[in-house]
Amino acid sequence: MSNSYLAAAPVVRRVRGYFAPVNRVTQTPVIFDAAEMGGFGLDSPPSPWIALGWLKGFTRKAVSKTAQIVSGVPAAVLEQTRETVGAEVSFEFLSWTKLTMVLASASQQMNLLLPAGGAAASGDGGAGVAAGVVGTGSTATFISLAPVDAAKFTAGQIVAVDVDYTGQTGYVGTPVSGAYVKSALTDVDYVRRVTVNVARIAQVGATGLTLAEALPGGAPAAGMKAQPVVGFVDREGGSFYQEWSAVFVMEGSQGERIFFHYPRLQALASAAESATALDGKTGTLERVLLAGRFVALPVTDPLDGERVVCYRSFLPAASSLV
Amino acid sequence: MQNAKDSFYVALRTRLVAVNPERTILLRAAVRPGILVEEAEAPFSQLPTDVFVLRWLGLAVDQDLPATMAAEECEIVYATLGTQSFGGMDRGRAMSEMDEELVAMLAPFWTPKLNYRSTPATTLMTRVFWDEPVFQPVTVTRDRLTRSARVVVYSYEEAGELVG
Repeated sequence: MSNSYLAAAPVVRRVRGYFAPVNRVTQTPVIFDAAEMGGFGLDSPPSPWIALGWLKGFTRKAVSKTAQIVSGVPAAVLEQTRETVGAEVSFEFLSWTKLTMVLASASQQMNLLLPAGGAAASGDGGAGVAAGVVGTGSTATFISLAPVDAAKFTAGQIVAVDVDYTGQTGYVGTPVSGAYVKSALTDVDYVRRVTVNVARIAQVGATGLTLAEALPGGAPAAGMKAQPVVGFVDREGGSFYQEWSAVFVMEGSQGERIFFHYPRLQALASAAESATALDGKTGTLERVLLAGRFVALPVTDPLDGERVVCYRSFLPAASSLV
Repeated sequence: MQNAKDSFYVALRTRLVAVNPERTILLRAAVRPGILVEEAEAPFSQLPTDVFVLRWLGLAVDQDLPATMAAEECEIVYATLGTQSFGGMDRGRAMSEMDEELVAMLAPFWTPKLNYRSTPATTLMTRVFWDEPVFQPVTVTRDRLTRSARVVVYSYEEAGELVG
């Protein structure tokens, strides 16, 4: 009896997506190593990767252009040369979260701060209630606050945790750059408006907030403040493009895995939605999906200095012949 | 999934009491609102008239979501003979009345999901919601008019919730 078999092409269901932040200042992406990390549990990716859930309609397209050098009579291709390197990816997120909304929008994606009493109406949300200083001893799932600040929150609210805006320019936001400030602003809460460092509050105690999920930025740094959030808002327009490192995984029926790793992805299209019927036969209900279209930016592979935009890795099924 | 079925039934029962408190049924020695779940009662040789009978049929599950979604098809069957005082000649009117009551009971198209395994029932985090009803033509068997409407009831399975 043979201890190996010739495997057919992988049979997969949907695609899983994973996110990691790009350091926009240094243009440093997070690199995924399929050899080291390829066996991870799909629900518990290795740090700093964050699961984005299932994706629908995953489509990737190479837009690299190749030119042919022809020679002779009659002319024949002598050799080929790659003129441009590029790739695009498109898919739909099957959940609306802060992170998926950020990634799917080609602009700043902001938090709607809980408005202060009497705040003037604003499309981005009015002036927020005063933020509370995060104390020492905070973790990714617990925010230490003074009792007077903790009392401003209620269980079930969303909290944003980040630093005050103090006139800085450039990229702002933790752990993901949520915006690029070209000239100094006046809103002290601006960084907390654009931060992705948000989480749902499970419990409010006298000493702080217990979170129902970990903050994407991990334990808050010194100087950060916490502010209640009621929702999210983004705009059509603006000049900021989100950028992230991405891994997409297709798991085959025999346990084989195909990875598509894009070290740098930027949103290519404006925020958009697509609707699919829940029951195509008679129903009227529709599921509204966040539609994303992205362009891959290049990195230089330190192995040989080649400029590339995507890595495709394949981990074969156990016992399958290769 | 049982929590979704229970929540849907109790929501409709509560709404029926508000829409038409006179529609009742004497069942197992108790007067109850005129709506019941067929699979939760002793088998009927013939369905009772002038009450709504919920019959659970199809099931579909989508597991490729952050939370598993269940779609359960509910057939709501109701029949009438009209009233004795009019010799059954008001059975068309009685059927229209039940049509209208069912439309009213199904709106709004959602209800909180509760766990009725515990006493008192505990409110879960998600809602049960449903599509618009698809009404079938009336069938006539001598003086008995019967109609059914099909509703797809959707719910999300929550962490720790037993799959019934």
